[in-house]
Amino acid sequence: MRAVLIAVALSLFSSVAGATVFLPTDLNDLSRDAVAIARGRIVAVDAQWTDGRRSIETLVTLETETYLKGSLGQVVQFRVPGGSLGRFRSVVVGAPSFAVGQRVIVFLGSRGPTVPYVLGMSQGVFRLSQSPQGDWLVTPPSISAAADGPIVRGIRRPSPLGDFERDVRALAGAAR
Amino acid sequence: MSGGPVHRVAGLLAIAAVLFGHTQPAFAYLKFGLEAGGREVTLKWTTTPVRYFVTDQTVGGISAADFQAATAQAFATWQSVPSASITYRFAGFTSSTPGDDDGRTTLGFLNEPALDRVLASTSFLVDNVTGALLEADIFFNSAFTWSVSKDGEPGKWDVQSIALHEIGHLSGLGHSAIGETQIVNGSRRVLSAGAVMFPIALGPGDISSRQLDADDVAGISDLYPDGDFNAATGSVSGQVTKNGQGVFGAHVVAFDPGTGEQIANFTLTRSGLFSIAGLRPGPHVIRVEPLDDADIESFFDSAEPVDLSFRAKFYERLVVVPRGGDSGSIQIAVSP
Repeated sequence: MRAVLIAVALSLFSSVAGATVFLPTDLNDLSRDAVAIARGRIVAVDAQWTDGRRSIETLVTLETETYLKGSLGQVVQFRVPGGSLGRFRSVVVGAPSFAVGQRVIVFLGSRGPTVPYVLGMSQGVFRLSQSPQGDWLVTPPSISAAADGPIVRGIRRPSPLGDFERDVRALAGAAR
Repeated sequence: MSGGPVHRVAGLLAIAAVLFGHTQPAFAYLKFGLEAGGREVTLKWTTTPVRYFVTDQTVGGISAADFQAATAQAFATWQSVPSASITYRFAGFTSSTPGDDDGRTTLGFLNEPALDRVLASTSFLVDNVTGALLEADIFFNSAFTWSVSKDGEPGKWDVQSIALHEIGHLSGLGHSAIGETQIVNGSRRVLSAGAVMFPIALGPGDISSRQLDADDVAGISDLYPDGDFNAATGSVSGQVTKNGQGVFGAHVVAFDPGTGEQIANFTLTRSGLFSIAGLRPGPHVIRVEPLDDADIESFFDSAEPVDLSFRAKFYERLVVVPRGGDSGSIQIAVSP
């Protein structure tokens, strides 16, 4: 499902996905606060009415490949606000959108016996992409927990999946 | 915070077609768009005033009346832009809460544990068939402490400032990337925000974001132009390339050395085309930089292949913006 902007990269319109005032979050915060950090492939995206039919939310089903922290089972569902049901589309700007087949790393939070959610909305989602050589890459957040000082533009690069996961495991381990 | 996605439709469509030799226009600003009924639709209000309600609840010591007064100030700030036509009207208090898909545009507090890093957020309810905007709600996260004080309060988030940002979204504007942050003790701090629509808040107690910046004014005026806005301003268009290929998602900033104002947009096609409208006539400095000071998905849909792997660059010459026209296409080649 495409929540907000149908990205029409090659056509006339461009899309904007976020519209929210965030508190910036780094990997350290995300790793500390997540009850589970999972890498996997999206296998289902289903919109539904919330209790009382007050609003629309989307249940995302992830077939996990591995956990970098915690475990919620081989298949885990999490919810994101907004979605499309029949004639209506609820768009919560800033909420991440997912499509079946995408490979992602998600930082999940949970409050009690409820369906988990993504920490920090889109800040808690890291999408995997493939290099021309076929290597899996992850674009890290612009915040590095290791370095102080101004953010230097132009040095942020997708990093190998293995390096990213090593960093996350270390941060998650240190936070325990 | 600040910034804004918008578009310039009529004039620039023709301009871009001429400049780039094809029929794909380069829009000024980003904008909210969606697919409805098999066509692309710009998310904006087609009738005004926009009628809004306020949730009738006292939260964290802030009464509904005080909250309404603070948000009304923010609405008035947007409405006072002389080159924009959008207007808003308070329709009353309601027992509904923001997020209820009930056809009422509602502002209010909610306790959202799943949004524990979100101060506030805007949501839309849209007709999937017609693309009509049915309502837009703004929730303020009551998990934080808030202030409606005229002078702000240390340690508390200013309702009016945050409302100003969110009302920009409610009106159809997206985020601006005109801002700088830095890392202090592993956490990001905002050094400066050159637009109300910059997506990261300056900090609790700060009330400096109660005023719009040039980028915000250009955005709202471009989306809801009034008077002679289009005739009195001009645009810069061009193309950003790297190794001979177009760069998608490059942040292009036009700096007016006469006023110090910055107005920006992004390259919005894979061929790297951009257009920045709403500029004062006269010389401008053009800077291109990657969108690496922010969360990409707060600007673009996740499917967009935003290129971050290039170095910031200034265009070698001043670009003169003509009144009511376009600068002509400029070519900017960036380095990996």
